[in-house]
Amino acid sequence: MAQWTERRPSEEFYRVLDPDGKPVNDVPDVDESTLRRMYRTMVESRLFDEKTLAMQRRGEVSIIARTTGEEAVSCGSAAALEAGDWCFPSYRQTPAALYWGADKARAVAALMGTEPETIDEHLPLEGEPEVNFTPVYVPLAVNVTNAVGTAMTDRFRGTDGVSLSYIGDGSTSQGDFHEALNFAGVFEAPAVTVCQNNQWAISVPSHRQTAAETIAQKAEAHGVPHERVDGNDVLAVYEASREAVDRARRGEGPSFIEAVTYRMVEHNTADEESVYRNETEEEYWEDKDPIDRFEAYLLSEGVLAVDDLEEIREEIREEIQEAVDRAREVPVSDPEEMFEHHLHESTWKRDHQRAELQAERRGENPFTDFTGEGLQ
Amino acid sequence: MSSQVDATADEATEEMNVVTAVKETLRQEMHRDEHVRLLGYDIGPIGGVFRATEGLLEEFGEERVVDTPLSENGILGTAVGMAMRGDRVVPEIQFTGFFYPAFGQFMYTLVKMYERSGGNLEVPMTVRMPYSGGIKSSEYHSESTETYLVHTPGCRVVVPSTPYETKGLLAASIRNDDPVFFLEPKKIYRGSTEPVPDEEYTLPLDEARYVRRGEDITVYCWGAMVRHAETAADNVDADVEIVDLRTLSPLDVETILESVKKTGRAVVLHEARRTLGLGAEISALINEYALDHLHAPIKRATGYDVHFPGHQIEDDYLPDAQRAQYAIEAVMEYEF
Repeated sequence: MAQWTERRPSEEFYRVLDPDGKPVNDVPDVDESTLRRMYRTMVESRLFDEKTLAMQRRGEVSIIARTTGEEAVSCGSAAALEAGDWCFPSYRQTPAALYWGADKARAVAALMGTEPETIDEHLPLEGEPEVNFTPVYVPLAVNVTNAVGTAMTDRFRGTDGVSLSYIGDGSTSQGDFHEALNFAGVFEAPAVTVCQNNQWAISVPSHRQTAAETIAQKAEAHGVPHERVDGNDVLAVYEASREAVDRARRGEGPSFIEAVTYRMVEHNTADEESVYRNETEEEYWEDKDPIDRFEAYLLSEGVLAVDDLEEIREEIREEIQEAVDRAREVPVSDPEEMFEHHLHESTWKRDHQRAELQAERRGENPFTDFTGEGLQ
Repeated sequence: MSSQVDATADEATEEMNVVTAVKETLRQEMHRDEHVRLLGYDIGPIGGVFRATEGLLEEFGEERVVDTPLSENGILGTAVGMAMRGDRVVPEIQFTGFFYPAFGQFMYTLVKMYERSGGNLEVPMTVRMPYSGGIKSSEYHSESTETYLVHTPGCRVVVPSTPYETKGLLAASIRNDDPVFFLEPKKIYRGSTEPVPDEEYTLPLDEARYVRRGEDITVYCWGAMVRHAETAADNVDADVEIVDLRTLSPLDVETILESVKKTGRAVVLHEARRTLGLGAEISALINEYALDHLHAPIKRATGYDVHFPGHQIEDDYLPDAQRAQYAIEAVMEYEF
C-alpha cells in the first residue's frame, strides 16, 4: 500500500508548555476563570465531536469533520478576541464558537442539514453573540479575503474592531490566501489570520503544499508580521494571538499565525486515513494531545483538582445531550425554504417555480402552464 | 430617446454621455450616503481607464475611493467583507473579460452569503464592469459574459442603454440590498448624449422598457444593441416593437410574453455567443408560454460561438443594424 513518507514538522516555534504541561517559557498572564473557560471549551469541543460522530454512525447527520486534536488552535486564538470583533471560521473551529457561547443545538441542527431559516425560527438566539460569527465557510481560504474586507472597513472608518479568520495548511496554496494577505498588508488592515496547520489536507501532506520551510514565512512576502507557534499549546496560541489582536486594535496592521498541530482523526467521516498515512505518525502525535497537556498544567497549578475533571465532563455531556434533544425537535425544513433569501424581492420565476414545487408535492402535474399566467 | 426623458422635460437637465452619467451618479450617491465606497484598480488619480471615476478621489478621499492591488478576486472578496459591515461597495472590474479570476468569490461568497446566513448577512454591492465590444480594444477587453452571471441565483444583472437609463439604473443598483452587476456597454460610453435630469431618480431593477411600440414583430435587446435595433426598425417594412430588457436578471418575463403575444414574432439581438446566451432563455420562455401566439420561429441575431476575435474583424463578429434587419426580415417573411 502506497503511503506518504512521514515528515515531522520542525519544533522551532513559540511554546509555553511542553507536551507534559511543564512551562518552558514565561507563562502569559491569564486569570483563572479564563484558564478554566479555555479548558472547558476544549473538552466541550472534544465531547461534541464524540457525540456527533455517534449520530453520524446512526445516520442522523450525513457527514462531520472532527476537530479532535486541534482544539487548542481556535480556542486559544478566539479567546484573544473582544466583544464586537468578527470571526470567520472554516469547518474545524468548533472551539472558537463554543468559547463565545455558540448554541450547540443550532450547531447540531446545521449538521442535520436543517435550512438556516428553520433553525432561526425554532432555535432563536437569546441576544446577539458578543463576537460576530459568520456562517462556517466550506470553500477554502475565501473567508480570509472577506475578513480582510471587514477589517479594511474598520480601518477606513477609524473604528477599533478586529477580524480573525481561520484556514488550514492546504488553504495556503489557494490564490485567495495570497490575495487576502496582500490586501491586508497594503491597507494595514486589522486582520489576524490563523493557519491551523494540521499536517494534512485530506490525504495530501503539508510538505506537498509548499517547498517553503514554514507556512508562516509565506506571510513575509506580503509584508505581514508572522509567528509560528506550537498549536497544541493553548497558552502559546493565546499569547501569540493576543499580541496580534492587540497590535491590530492599535492600528498597527495585520498578522499571520501558523499554529502547528495535527489532525488526530480522519479528514471527515467519508475519509479513510489509514490508506495514506502510517500509525507511527499517529502515535507520535498522540503524546502531544492539547487537552492532556493543558490539563496537566492546570492540575499542577491547582487551577483544577482531579475531582473536577469528571465533573466537568459530566456537566458538558448533559449540556450536549440537551442540545441534541432540542435539535431533534426542530421540524424538518419546509422544502419551499429553498427559495428564500436569494434576492430581497420576489421574482416571476421564483413565484412560478415555487408553484411548480407546490403542485408536485400535492401530487399534481406542475407542467400545465402554457400561457405564463399560472398553473391550470 | 426614451419616453422618460420627455416626461422630465420641464426639469433642469444636463446634456451628457453614458460615462459622464456613471460618474455623476457615483458622485451623487457618495454625497447621499456616506457608506458608499468605491474599490478597484486605476480608479484613483487617473479616474479609471474610461474616466468613470475621474475627480472622485479628490472629492471623497482615499478611504472612499480605494485604489487596490491588481487582483479582481481580492477586490470582490474584500468588497464582500465590507458589505457585510454595512458599506455600500461599488467595486469596479476594469473589463468584463477580467472578471474570471473573481469567480471564486463570486460563486462562494457574494451570491451565497445572504442565503447561507438565513438572511442575517446582507451583501449590498454594485459591481461595475465595462462590458461588450465594438471599440477595437482586443479580445480580452470585449467580451459579453452576462450568461455566467444570469445563470447564478442571488444577484441582479443590469445593462443601461442610454445616459438617462444609466443614471436611474445605477442609482437604483447602489441603493438596492442585493448584489448587482452593472454592465456598462463601452461602445456607447461616448458618442451620443441626451439630457439627464440633475435631480436624483431611480428606475426599477426588474422592468423592461418599451423603446418603441409596434404590431408586427418584437426585437428583444439591451445595451449597445438597442440603437442597432432602432436603426433596423427604421429600415424594414414592418411595424417593429423594441423591448430593452435593462435587467437581464431577474428577467421581466411578463413584458417579454406580453409583447410577443401581441406581435407573434420575435428576434433576440445580443453580442454574446449564441449557445446558452440569453436569447436561448428568452426563446425557451416564449416556447413554453406563448407558442400558440407565434406566426414564425424565433431567431437569435447574436455573436457566433467563437472566442471574441481580433479587432480587425470584430465588426464581422458583432451584431449590428444590418444583422438585426436580416433577422427581422427573415422572420417577417416566414410562413408556417
